Amino acid sequence: MSALLALRLVTYLLVATGVAALYGAGLIGPVGAGLVVLAILVGWGHEQARAHGAVRPALGYGLVGAAAVAITVDLLYLAYSLLDGMVHLLLFLILLRLFVRRGLRDLRDAGLLSFFLLVAAASISFSLSFLAVFVVFLVLGTWMLILNHVVTELEQAGREGAVGSSTRRVFFRGPLTRVSLVAAAITFSLAGGLFFIIPRVGQAALPLRAQLGRMVTGFSDRVDLGSFGDIESDHTVVMRVYLTDERVEPAALPELRWRGVAFDQFDGRTWSSAVAPRRFVRRGAAGDFGIGLPRGAGPLLRQEIFLEPMGTDAVFGAPRVLRLEMHSPTLVVDDMGGLTTSSATARLHYLVESELEEPGRPLAPGTRAAPGLTAADRARYLQLPALSPDVARLAREATAGARDPDIAARRVGEFLSTRYRYTLALRRETTRPPLEEFLFVRRSGNCEYFAAAMAVMLRSEGIPSRVVAGFQHGEWNPYGRYFMVRLSDAHSWVEAYIDGRGWVAFDPSPRGEIATPAPGPVSLYLDAARMRWYRYVINWSLGDQVHLAATVHRQATDVRLGLSWPRHWRVAPALMGAGGLAVVLVLGWLLHRRGGAGRAAGPAPSMPVFYERALRLLARRGLSPAAAETARQFAARVSTATPERAEPFARLTRHYEHTRFGATALTETEWQDVTHALAALAAAR
Amino acid sequence: MKPLRAAIWRLFHPRRTIKPTRDGWWCLLVAVGLGVAAINTGNNLLYLLVSALLALIVVSGILSEQAMRGLALTPITPEELYAGRPALLGATVANRKRWLTSYSVTLELLAPDARALESTSRFIYFRRIEAGTDRLATWEQTLPRRGRARLAGVRITTRFPFGLFMKAGRPALTDEVLVFPAVRPLPAESLGRLGDAGAPAGRRRGRGNDLYNLRPYRPGDDPRFIHWRSSAKAEALVVREHEADTSHDTRVVLVGRGRAGTDALEAGLSEAASLATALVRVGAGVELAGPDLFVPLGHGRPHLRRVLTALALYEPAATAAERAPAGPPVDGTSLGPRRLREIRVPLA
Repeated sequence: MSALLALRLVTYLLVATGVAALYGAGLIGPVGAGLVVLAILVGWGHEQARAHGAVRPALGYGLVGAAAVAITVDLLYLAYSLLDGMVHLLLFLILLRLFVRRGLRDLRDAGLLSFFLLVAAASISFSLSFLAVFVVFLVLGTWMLILNHVVTELEQAGREGAVGSSTRRVFFRGPLTRVSLVAAAITFSLAGGLFFIIPRVGQAALPLRAQLGRMVTGFSDRVDLGSFGDIESDHTVVMRVYLTDERVEPAALPELRWRGVAFDQFDGRTWSSAVAPRRFVRRGAAGDFGIGLPRGAGPLLRQEIFLEPMGTDAVFGAPRVLRLEMHSPTLVVDDMGGLTTSSATARLHYLVESELEEPGRPLAPGTRAAPGLTAADRARYLQLPALSPDVARLAREATAGARDPDIAARRVGEFLSTRYRYTLALRRETTRPPLEEFLFVRRSGNCEYFAAAMAVMLRSEGIPSRVVAGFQHGEWNPYGRYFMVRLSDAHSWVEAYIDGRGWVAFDPSPRGEIATPAPGPVSLYLDAARMRWYRYVINWSLGDQVHLAATVHRQATDVRLGLSWPRHWRVAPALMGAGGLAVVLVLGWLLHRRGGAGRAAGPAPSMPVFYERALRLLARRGLSPAAAETARQFAARVSTATPERAEPFARLTRHYEHTRFGATALTETEWQDVTHALAALAAAR
Repeated sequence: MKPLRAAIWRLFHPRRTIKPTRDGWWCLLVAVGLGVAAINTGNNLLYLLVSALLALIVVSGILSEQAMRGLALTPITPEELYAGRPALLGATVANRKRWLTSYSVTLELLAPDARALESTSRFIYFRRIEAGTDRLATWEQTLPRRGRARLAGVRITTRFPFGLFMKAGRPALTDEVLVFPAVRPLPAESLGRLGDAGAPAGRRRGRGNDLYNLRPYRPGDDPRFIHWRSSAKAEALVVREHEADTSHDTRVVLVGRGRAGTDALEAGLSEAASLATALVRVGAGVELAGPDLFVPLGHGRPHLRRVLTALALYEPAATAAERAPAGPPVDGTSLGPRRLREIRVPLA
């Protein structure tokens, strides 16, 4: 394959990789990507046809003109945003270069412009696919640059009739390809290293325009019964929760859930939280949001949450959230502990600190009591729609006369979980209200029905309660030490107010009956890679750098201590310094000896020492011979610039010419004259 | 002290220089712009792209250093250089590395005036120089004026691997050289003057046409000079020896002092050089005399070099006071033991 053909091929592939990056970032859809790839293929064919003279230039210019008009209209009126318009313009410029290519420069420009496709994608994307595109781009890019360099040099050499360019062919298994691959590998490694050490100025910012993802039901301020039915059969991973404390064992946290929104109002079909008071919380001086104070009721758990784009503004975390670190200026907190933010990008990564409260365990001594409910709040959490008296009768049956709210709640939960069946097949069989149909007809439902039924039954027994929507803890990924939470882990449960303890979570739904397929090790590995990409690339921040530096320092200290010599072996620091300096000098000398590159080998210029010294003396006055200036011309210039040095330097020049061109040694008298002239030159003011 | 001075000198005169190309400047500009954008937005993927660009620059430096390292440039200059005549210069580029090939190396000729390079590019490109091998490049260069001249030099450069930076070694072939006056074929009138008056001197062996001697053949003798008739008589090979054209021993006299930088002066010196060369080639002796110079009679190429050197360095003194004492007067009244025929060459 000729070098030029290889360059063309690699450049076209490079452009295609840039288009893949745009597609991965969602900047162009499948139709757009297909059209661009088709245009690239046509461009390739067009070039072949043009080589055979089959394409009329007028047609090409006509097409380009039409495309230019279309792009201008798109940029001004049609594009979704300025970024989209610029991307379209960039694509147009690249294709234009490929279509009207006249020389190597156009081909090179098309390749270099495709880098900006990657830049545009970087401003939007945070997917792991960007890494794959980046690696391919790096390999092709280095190859393109090397081929472009070689072809340019060959073309220049061929044009100017130089020697040494006998071969113009490259082979994919040839040395240049190997050099290119090595260059790409080194570039990738160095880029990785530089990426981690280039100083950051704070927290990582997420992409300029995060994709919203599809809307997810169940996490807004209104939710209909049965709305979880669709998403509970979707196994897409939507959240990854990394436990920063490595001492925490996931097996010790079976009741862990990720709380989202809570609902207090029920109209028989729909739960809502529309009337819940909300307040704005501003970020504190430490860059975090203070949500609550610890009560000493359970262990603290710090979670780093990576959320896939979801159509909800809820912020998830293990209950009860005490503190939040998030890249958002404000946070909305309702009086049921629900957290929301309008910043789509801030929700994608945040840190939560929670105090885990264990419902079954009695409160430890010294635990701070939960604040009591006001009468208004009590009425709010006891609100019930018009229901059949059978519901209240069923509640009395379930509680079996228990007076203690905690015991009553447990009995209701046990009643529902043992006598009712969990199912995702939510067919309506009667015209009765959905909850009554669940309790008295179908006797099976999903977690929403169980939670709604329990909340209603508790309220009918006079126990304040509310429904909470969130996620179950998900699957533990041991390769990355985090929980993989899927959409199918969406869940509803109940919080009941127990005097003295506050709001306590109860989960009446027997979800364990539904067997979910366990992910294989390969999918766990892949997901762990995705998690690391989010954790260590997308969200790499100043704090991580400080942590990394501290870790390196600690490990270096450990190594130093491990390698430290016995005290009586210690060498004086000065001696060690001298030894180190000697090693450096020897290495420098060896390197200096080895590296003769670029130096003219062969005989050294035969400049007499006295003339060299005279030149140094004049150089201090700013006078040095030019590149193509002879000694005599220089002497004339010296006499003009500094007349007081003219005479001695003229003598020295004469002696220099005598030794340089006369091929005879200076006589004793002439040496004396040289000495005097040098002294006069040095003394001249 | 001297090694220290040398070290300091090397510090300020590095073995290699590096300069961004136009593409290199663009690369640096884009890296800076992306860096600003990354800092401004905090987007880590932009940081990743900036890192890739910076890494590309570092890799470019590493690979270009690998290409340049261990390359030795040995210049080749001709012994004699004549004004206005293309001289064949050359250089060998040797890759002294043990294992690694140097790719994409260019020999750059640093002629201040591209017209001085006769039908030669300023750039001689070697796509690869394998380890332990060397490559020879030659080119023609014309030095326009006689006298001392400094060759502009030649250096090794490379833009390998990405064409972003040009790395260059120190120039070689920057010596000051002596350029002899232009030597041209003599015009007919000058050739005619070679037959001017002059007393014949003693016979000696040479390259003339007259027979000087017959002697037995020795290995290495030119077979064309075998004298067949004598060989038949002697029953052994006998060769002719010719007599030198001693009658052509000549004094070339520069008439007038000439004015520096004038065409007349240069033309006169060129004619004198041409005469001396033609005379020496036919075995004649040449003596050079002029207002400020004198080269006594001599024969052969070393003598010719002395004559040409004197002509190359001739510069007419501005005033009579500066005139250096020269050889004997040229009116032919006191020429020593024998008279030479004279050819007068006007300088002004």
